Amino acid sequence: MNEHKPTVTEADLHAFADGLLPPERQAELEAWLIENPQDAAAVAAWQAQNDEIRAMFSPYAISMDSDKNLVLKIGKTSIGQREVQKRNRLMMMLAASVALFLAGIATGRFAPDLFARPELQLTAIEALPQQAHSAFVVYASDVRHPVEVGADQEAHLATWLGKRMNVAGLKVPSLQKLGFQLVGGRLLPINGTPGALFMYENATGQRLTVLVGRNSGNTTTSFRFASDNAVETFYWIDGDLGYAVTGEISRDMLQQVADECYKQFSS
Amino acid sequence: MPHGPDRTGNGAVGTSPAPDSFEAEVLALLPSLRRYSRSLTRSDADGEDLLQDCVEKILTRRNQWRGLNLRGWVLTIMTNLYRNGRRRQGGRSFVDIDDNDHLPAAEIDDDPLQRSRLELALNSLSEDYRAVLMLVVVEGHSYQDVAEMLNVPIGTVMSRLSRARQKMTSLLNADNVVTLRRPR
Repeated sequence: MNEHKPTVTEADLHAFADGLLPPERQAELEAWLIENPQDAAAVAAWQAQNDEIRAMFSPYAISMDSDKNLVLKIGKTSIGQREVQKRNRLMMMLAASVALFLAGIATGRFAPDLFARPELQLTAIEALPQQAHSAFVVYASDVRHPVEVGADQEAHLATWLGKRMNVAGLKVPSLQKLGFQLVGGRLLPINGTPGALFMYENATGQRLTVLVGRNSGNTTTSFRFASDNAVETFYWIDGDLGYAVTGEISRDMLQQVADECYKQFSS
Repeated sequence: MPHGPDRTGNGAVGTSPAPDSFEAEVLALLPSLRRYSRSLTRSDADGEDLLQDCVEKILTRRNQWRGLNLRGWVLTIMTNLYRNGRRRQGGRSFVDIDDNDHLPAAEIDDDPLQRSRLELALNSLSEDYRAVLMLVVVEGHSYQDVAEMLNVPIGTVMSRLSRARQKMTSLLNADNVVTLRRPR
């Protein structure tokens, strides 16, 4: 065994991540990972994935009242009876998973922290792409009255919506350098509170909308992407506001728009 | 009925080489079998179906059990049922991510949550990859155990595990989460 030239294979990395490495090689691998940050990152990602997978399925390791019947009677029941049993078992399974879930909520032990936090903070963002999508579909297709307040009153639009949303200094992003002119904006209920919808149009008449809503959770998320019948949405939450950029344009262009909005909103 | 698996009590009364406590042992395994069947499938209902099919199969095949490592034997049977079942269904609604650089739109829309992303990524694994990943990660078996259960060389286990993780990682990093640049 050569001390200065350890040979670490990909299989060793997996074994390390899975806790399956022989104890005598543990130190060697730890040293290797310090020297090789890329391997260390891969191992860390696998370990995080392992934790999430376990958290997802370990709640299923439970006994159920129907288990005895399943083991003892299965051989002598007819197909019809089996179908009934199957249904009953499913109902019990459903009840069991609801109970598990509630117990998890009550004790806060449903999943490791790592896992539970994003789920809680994302309940608000969950609705965002759907609302952005419907707002776009409803208003962008309206030829004559797409907005309540037109671009000619941009300053008024910003103060009015800012006041309704209780956001000091709400900005109306400028997308001119991407070829989109402001059409105007409107007030819109988002998750039951006042929100803003800004609409833009390019030279060929393609429209896109930028939606801003309050986020009561005061959380921050990564940028996400949703697509529904060729209508694409980028959305994110930054502090106490949620944003969604929606359009029937290429994802590439929409990402540039989202990027631009993000810069302007957070500056 | 002369003899066989379909008795009501748990006294095997010597009609089969399996021990008297066979049913009791299977019963004790059920929670972990339930977990494994759910980890292979896409829904609670599919998980319970697979579990039931598996229990039925092991009870009718109890004579084939060689009396060692019941859990390993049962997990093998369940894995094979799962793989056969998937093959019978002809891989419907099954897209290999190699042919698909982003998730189907309809699914993304339903799943902004990390948990759902994870589930989608798992659902896109082929059954061979998924079984290896779950046997190692969820059921805690060694690579050698898995190789024996699936009757493949250990190198095959390692390459399936590696491919499974590669696919999971690329899918979880897929383009519905995009890093935009902070203004500086």
